[in-house]
Amino acid sequence: MKVVELLERRRQNWQELERYCDRISQSTLNTAEISRFSALYRAACADLALSNSYQLPENTVQYLHKLVGRAHNQLYRARQFDYKVWAKMLLEDVPQRIFNDRCVQTMFVFFWGFFILSAWLAYSKTAWPEFAEEMLPPQMLEQMQEHFKKPPDGSDRDGDTNLRMAAFYINHNTGIGLQCFVWGLLVVPGLYITAKNAVWLGAAFGYMARPDVPQGEHFFHFVRAHGPFELTAIVLSAGAGLRLGMAWIMPGQLSRGASLQKNGAEMMPVMCAAMLMFLFAALIEGFISPSSAPIWLKSGVCLLSSALLGFYFVVLGFPRRLLNAAR
Amino acid sequence: MAQRHEQIDSIIRVVTPENIAFEYRLAGPFRRLPALLIDWTITATAIFICAIAIAITFGAFISGGLAEAMISISFFVFRWFYGGLFETFMNGQTPGKRLTGIRVLTTEGQPINGLQAIMRNLFRGADLFLPLPCLGLLVMTLNKRSQRLGDLVSGTIVVVEQNSWLTGVAKLEDPRAIQLAGYLPPNFIVSRPLARALATYVERRRFFSPLRRREVAKHLGEPLLVQFGLPADTSYDLLLCALYYRTFIADRGEDERRLAEATAAAAQVNPFSQPFATPAQFNYKPPPLPQEQMVTIPATPPRQF
Repeated sequence: MKVVELLERRRQNWQELERYCDRISQSTLNTAEISRFSALYRAACADLALSNSYQLPENTVQYLHKLVGRAHNQLYRARQFDYKVWAKMLLEDVPQRIFNDRCVQTMFVFFWGFFILSAWLAYSKTAWPEFAEEMLPPQMLEQMQEHFKKPPDGSDRDGDTNLRMAAFYINHNTGIGLQCFVWGLLVVPGLYITAKNAVWLGAAFGYMARPDVPQGEHFFHFVRAHGPFELTAIVLSAGAGLRLGMAWIMPGQLSRGASLQKNGAEMMPVMCAAMLMFLFAALIEGFISPSSAPIWLKSGVCLLSSALLGFYFVVLGFPRRLLNAAR
Repeated sequence: MAQRHEQIDSIIRVVTPENIAFEYRLAGPFRRLPALLIDWTITATAIFICAIAIAITFGAFISGGLAEAMISISFFVFRWFYGGLFETFMNGQTPGKRLTGIRVLTTEGQPINGLQAIMRNLFRGADLFLPLPCLGLLVMTLNKRSQRLGDLVSGTIVVVEQNSWLTGVAKLEDPRAIQLAGYLPPNFIVSRPLARALATYVERRRFFSPLRRREVAKHLGEPLLVQFGLPADTSYDLLLCALYYRTFIADRGEDERRLAEATAAAAQVNPFSQPFATPAQFNYKPPPLPQEQMVTIPATPPRQF
């Protein structure tokens, strides 16, 4: 059979497939149309596979490549969120991964090291007397002193303000976490931004803990409820980011690209867990921390969230391998 | 075109579950930048419109706090998850990508999942890392599949997805090519590489000037003329067109009919030609064949006195 005849015969099919490709991106097809579409797609695949033995001209072969590519993209579509998979990932895979992850552990030490060092420097009046004033931007100190003059009793907050602040915290704090994660890929910027956050937070805590700062009591009253979630989330995002940076610096037996890809797929769920923690922290910070709830309730929230985190990381995260070996 | 230069053409091969290898063309920075700019424009406009709409509806009727909270959250979502959500639900495309005709796939050519979509868009922050805003561009030039950092982390590539039009076989406007096809030995079998070369040449020849056609066709035409025993001054271009016609268009039966016609025509033109028993016996001098107007380049420049 000559090429002309072959093209004439197939042309109808190919053009029908093209029309389906155009339509499918705008609307969904019914069952009969879908089966017709896949039959046409397979026929086009077969034509492409046989193009060499049919001796199709080069232009037609290229046309077929593009047609098959388009149809392939329409037939095999992006998988959407599967909630069971996500639940398993967040409750099983992520804690176990975090429990064993050297980078998260390193980042934990790194963050808390800077935090405690900076808190001590800000607290101590002899080691570095002006530390807090030098580290923190002056308007931030003023704002903090202004803000914590009164105990957080909910007197200046209504539901609107709470909502607004919760949304602000979601936007702002999760943004910081995502930045720690993303810049962690470049290692040095990631370490810098994490250290900066640790120093700021530490300096604020240390400064407020000074006995001669009257706002201190109110400050600790305010931060205790949301502190555990927020600080853990920052450590987690920074650790996940550092892991990605290490993936291309020390790829082990894989190539750098493959190592980056493997670790990326592993660390993204960790970042999702961190984002969830930021969300909880923001809700607590928006609604519970500034409210008139008694201090024992806020301490209770603090304890409960710490216990939840402990359960998540230690109980859910304890390696199954060791658990099975002990049995 | 026996081997296409995949690296130069930035083509990757993808094997589908149907066990077919087909080709994709990778999208380089100059295709992706417009898509990015369109997406940024859309994001900015959407945030602006969202803010106004929320402020008007919720702010006026329910409460200012709720409106501000929603604006703040929509800003957050647009800033970090615009690309990821669109690529998840629009099958690897954002509006900007759809307008510029590109699509995100995994490195194996499969559709991406939600996690990959979100991750590759989060890492735009590292690609456009502020002190070095061209970092992503640098990384793209350093790897073979022009992936930026976000693509490397999530294992994705961006490909061009274009419509192309079915061209069919090239049309031969010159009847002399068909006539010449009658002179070709019918038992000559066109091999596959030769067929491919013929197709490539004939589909492109309309872009060339006659002189250029002669130059290009010479490499194949010269040995073929010797092999077929045709006169050496036959137009190479016409010869290749005739072979193309024989290979791709004419039917075997059609061929023989036309051969008979052409022989008859040749007999009229050249009364001295001898009838031959089998078409393979081309040991006679054929009649003068149609020539293209060709400018012969003199070997030495004429001396002027």
